[in-house]
Amino acid sequence: MSYIVSPDVVKYACTCGLLKPISCLYFCRYCCELRCGFCVCHEVDSHFCGKCCENLPSSEARLKKNRCGNCYICPCCQQELSTRIGSKGPSNPEDPKSTPKKMYYLSCLYCRWSSRDVGIPDQGAATGGWPERENVHANRLQEVIEGYKAFITAQRQQKEREKKKQRGKFISYTDRTGVTAAALRKRIGLPAEVPNTYYRNRPKPPEVAIAREEVEDFPEDLLTKALNLMEITTIDQRLLQPDLQPTTVDKLFPIHKQLSIKRSLRCRSCEHNVSKPEYNPNSVKFKIQLFAYYHIPEVRIVTVEPLRAGKTAELILKFTNPTQHQTVITFLPLDLTDKGGDGDREVVGETQSLNLPEKQPPSLGGQPSSLLSLSSRQPSITIKPRPIRQATNCSIAIPGSKVILPPRDDAAEYDDSGETHNIQDDTKLVVWRKSNKAFVKLAVTPDDGLELNTEIVAGFTMQHIYTNTIATTVENKEPDRHDHNVRVFLSLGNLVGSE
Amino acid sequence: MSRNSIKILPGALVCEESKLRGDITIGAGTIIHPSATILAEAGPIIIGDCCLIEEQAKIIHRLPFDEQDTEKTPVLIIGAHNVFEVDCHVESPKIGNCNVFESKCFVGNKVTVTNGCTVGAGCKVTEEQILKENVIIFGEKCQMREGLDRPGLQTLQMETLSKVLPNYHHIRKPNKKN
Repeated sequence: MSYIVSPDVVKYACTCGLLKPISCLYFCRYCCELRCGFCVCHEVDSHFCGKCCENLPSSEARLKKNRCGNCYICPCCQQELSTRIGSKGPSNPEDPKSTPKKMYYLSCLYCRWSSRDVGIPDQGAATGGWPERENVHANRLQEVIEGYKAFITAQRQQKEREKKKQRGKFISYTDRTGVTAAALRKRIGLPAEVPNTYYRNRPKPPEVAIAREEVEDFPEDLLTKALNLMEITTIDQRLLQPDLQPTTVDKLFPIHKQLSIKRSLRCRSCEHNVSKPEYNPNSVKFKIQLFAYYHIPEVRIVTVEPLRAGKTAELILKFTNPTQHQTVITFLPLDLTDKGGDGDREVVGETQSLNLPEKQPPSLGGQPSSLLSLSSRQPSITIKPRPIRQATNCSIAIPGSKVILPPRDDAAEYDDSGETHNIQDDTKLVVWRKSNKAFVKLAVTPDDGLELNTEIVAGFTMQHIYTNTIATTVENKEPDRHDHNVRVFLSLGNLVGSE
Repeated sequence: MSRNSIKILPGALVCEESKLRGDITIGAGTIIHPSATILAEAGPIIIGDCCLIEEQAKIIHRLPFDEQDTEKTPVLIIGAHNVFEVDCHVESPKIGNCNVFESKCFVGNKVTVTNGCTVGAGCKVTEEQILKENVIIFGEKCQMREGLDRPGLQTLQMETLSKVLPNYHHIRKPNKKN
């Protein structure tokens, strides 16, 4: 995919004001808005190891410090280590016919590092059993962690106690008679305030670390001996093991592989998922994938004439309709200042999502019930559309006529009959069309007085009819069709000199 | 040096489609795949026993630019048990034993390779140097490290190849007695 859309010459304006290529955008069907990675909520769905594809619950992942228990990566080049078999002498030295004993060692197929390099003894079993290195500071770390844990619990208890005090369900008779606890204490001769329980139960803070005064002597041979770079670890290798930070290669030990996550993305204004992967780590499919690529017509630049300041050039764009419904594309001038259509749409979108609880569509069966209850909540954040920080220096002559794009048909590719759909096109606008694609000719004029080699950016608002397939009410089976505006920016290349 | 004189010792497996130019001696047990290229431009090449030279591998014996005018005809001696993987390009003036040149690597004509070295996939070594024994070059930045051992021999692979290759390719006949 990335090689098709990778030079980001066509960018769409996300609702949040950022410009992104269509492959990086999501489309929330419920608010009918474009969303990008920066304006959705990212949630961790599951932890898994990318090598053994084992799924771990988040509590276990936390316990294992987000690392896989069985898989290792190479401390030398950070690739995955594989277990290899090395036979090592017969299992029974007296009997020459006995089968050789199988021994396992870890080896990196990339840089040929092996666990034998650092003297880790071979293992008799294929999985696990590799010696774990003990962190020299483990005790100290544990002490500090425990100290702070106790501190947190004490604080929490204190807070709860204060809450209880405030509540005070029962009316104290001493309060009415004026003989308060404080007054009583005073009369007996004790300090009026009960010393705070928090201070009484304060946990012992962990021992303070004291810096050592004596410093190791400067090793003279650093200056006298020739440096063998092959024995010294690189910064990357050191930072990979923050607890040891080995300086020489003979102290490199295999590292547990870090877990990966599956992540679902949620629209922030309506709390519907725009992307939700399947739980199984082996699967690369999605349960929910509301990518803009599947909903918004795709624009690509086909050709553009050499651009000269103040001169009109011909630009041919290709429009592709990715949906199963016919759409009509209208060109509108780009208005960066006005929130115009978009701003209004925002309001509409919000009221819609506010009304969602009653309108909760039954067609959402695909979502787990927990999500349904989530989605019935009111929007947590109101997202205000932000201005777009992209100047255009080229004007596009907005054509008056519209372009009809037929629905996508996967079989059309194999259809040679040249079906034309009998669409009455404005021949000045539509140059060519086939199935759900159309080439559209536009006239662009770079602004006068631009310097040579300035990058020319043009923009327009593409209005297309979006057919929302979520049945909003049970009785209303008609799909909801409405106009949706997308602001499209085209980088047309650099300005060339006059002829 | 346009005259070809290819000497193949018995036991060597040299496919006819391989491109051999110049004075080349091929040791016993060596396997040369079709479309491997060996060019002896500057002087004769002697390939040792049990080397594996895979498809699109290029071994070129060529003098550095600053030595090209001299009247020397150096001999490129390649030791035994070297593996030249797919699409590697080796111009080294001297190669020892048990080296592995991984896919798409490049070794320049000023790099002397000793024994047990591994040049990783895609690594480019051009600076004038002598690679120490068991040196491993790997990664994008051509990091170097010293291995504990020589890379393992490809005996199994070579056995299979010596059975399979003659079934599908024309093989040059050995023309030299031991």
